[in-house]
Amino acid sequence: MIRLSMLQFRIQAITAAAALAAFAVLLAATGPHLASTYAADGLDGCHASSSCANLANYFTGSLIRTPYAVLWLLSLGIILLMPAVIGLFWGAPLIARELETGTAAMAWNQSVTRTRWLAVKLSAGVLAAMAVTEALCLMQAWWAAPISQAVADGGSAGGLAQSRFSQLNFATHGVTPLGYAVFAFALGVTAGALIRRTVPAMAVTLAIFAALQVAMPLWVRPNLAAADHVAIPVSSQENLSPAQTGPGGGTFTLYAINLPGQPGAWLLSSGPVNAAGQPVSATPAACASIANTGGVNTGTSQATQGGSGAPATGPAGFIACLGSHGIREAITYQPASRYWRFQWTETAIYLALALALAGYCFLRLSRLS
Amino acid sequence: MSAVIETSGLGKQYRRTWALRDCTLTVPAGHVVGLVGPNGAGKTTLLRLATGMLAPTRGTITVLGQRPAAGPAQLARVGFVAQDTAVYARMTVADHLRLGAWLNPGWDDDLARQRIGQLALDPKQRAGSLSGGQRAQLALTMAMAKRPELLILDEPVASLDPLARREFLRGLMEAVAEQRLSVLLSSHLVADLERVCDYLIVLVASQVRVAGEVSDLLASHHRLTGPRRRPGTLPAGQEVITESHTDKQSSLLVRTDGPVLDPAWAVTPVSLEDLVLAYMSRASDDTPARRQHLGVAS
Repeated sequence: MIRLSMLQFRIQAITAAAALAAFAVLLAATGPHLASTYAADGLDGCHASSSCANLANYFTGSLIRTPYAVLWLLSLGIILLMPAVIGLFWGAPLIARELETGTAAMAWNQSVTRTRWLAVKLSAGVLAAMAVTEALCLMQAWWAAPISQAVADGGSAGGLAQSRFSQLNFATHGVTPLGYAVFAFALGVTAGALIRRTVPAMAVTLAIFAALQVAMPLWVRPNLAAADHVAIPVSSQENLSPAQTGPGGGTFTLYAINLPGQPGAWLLSSGPVNAAGQPVSATPAACASIANTGGVNTGTSQATQGGSGAPATGPAGFIACLGSHGIREAITYQPASRYWRFQWTETAIYLALALALAGYCFLRLSRLS
Repeated sequence: MSAVIETSGLGKQYRRTWALRDCTLTVPAGHVVGLVGPNGAGKTTLLRLATGMLAPTRGTITVLGQRPAAGPAQLARVGFVAQDTAVYARMTVADHLRLGAWLNPGWDDDLARQRIGQLALDPKQRAGSLSGGQRAQLALTMAMAKRPELLILDEPVASLDPLARREFLRGLMEAVAEQRLSVLLSSHLVADLERVCDYLIVLVASQVRVAGEVSDLLASHHRLTGPRRRPGTLPAGQEVITESHTDKQSSLLVRTDGPVLDPAWAVTPVSLEDLVLAYMSRASDDTPARRQHLGVAS
């Protein structure tokens, strides 16, 4: 039975191997140069020194308009899409094609029970799905090691420098891709068993998987652990982003960019509160005038202005004014230390769903023909 | 007479329609049994229930004394060639034989190779490029090389041209002669069955209308032609299957174990086809309300 599933699986296996090889060649051809750029920027031996953050910032910032940014996005995109591809092209046809072409009558009338047939087919598919996904992840991790290291060293410039909790990074690193791949495969098999036709089963698989991949980071993942709450003083422009809204700047918003003392934390929500802890949005009268003279709304960068000594105008002055009026920034967040807890919890959820789907397939198969 | 298949009150329901309902029949061992009936009689459903491809909604079915597809051993004892004789289009003929060898402990590789050789099939050819007749032959080879005790074929020749049809049935007959297996073969064409079957079951709307050895059936059925008269006047033991009347003449198809003695009748033998058609067109004993549920294509 194992040999049969390998015989039937060989075309998909060859396709997957070819895709993996192409991916490997692409990364192998560009990886060494990326690493040498990293070394040339002086980052190779500077771990934990104070200049590292600046060097790392320069490195990640300099990549933004190079082909490496495209490759980085592409490699993560492939990892993100791979589970869907597995579900569509390996999962959906597994039972549906046998039913559609009538070969089920041949497959299930050999001296092998349907339960065993499905068990072997599912096991082979799950192992292959995990192997392919993990191979992609390992290759990408090797290629992107300089970028990951630069981000770990404090590089935050440019779109490549994303937190580990960002949807793009979270869903393409660690163990979650394995969970997605196994789930998508099981979803495809189940859709095929229910719909009994390959192409509609593929469409349904894609729709459900895509919907889950959107719903998960938006509504489920933030709640996998009880979030922490903190209110920080409003003082520095380094971690706060103010904006005035409404007519004449009568209201304002204030978002936290990062949380001091909690590098890599996942900020779920943030907003200004008054001394009593109530959310505020009305600009204190004094601050409105400061801001108006400074032209906050123009959005120009005035990063150096905060340190110029004189009562500041612009964003820095606005922030200082808000702080002096007793306004604090309330932040809801998940600490960086929970990263692996989130990774394993989400993977476990997907694996449990996959297991439930597989169980349903076994039940369903006993009544199919 | 030992039975290879026994069903009792067997039914299969698809959503609101019954493909097979309250079917009770016995398929004897050691015969090539033809299952004949109009489209929608439930033949395919019955055969799929017998192979375990379907599970019954009601009633019971035992095949070779066990539940169909109960386990690997039971699966090994029953060979099945489905209606469309589907094969794996992308696999070669040799791949199919390998598949059979891997999945069947009782696989007879010599038999399989011998048949493929006789059929002049190229082992390297992809099954998808075979003709309909060759595909059917490949499917039959697969089913026979696992050395089953019972071979079930669901309209295997329905889509074949007359020549391929004859060759397929000849291959089947040779195998039956060599292997001493029981065969259950369905068709809605009596001509196909006449050539190969020695036992016939006529199934109409899930019910057995007549069943018996072909020679017995032919010996006990006669066509009587004579002056017009009412069928009620026939002697006891003569059962009218069908009757047709003109102003002057009556033509009856009767079943009787004894000889027809009335000199008013001209007695002629009936062909198997006439016999089957007579039973298929015979008015049902069922009530109309119940018949509404039947006759759904399986």
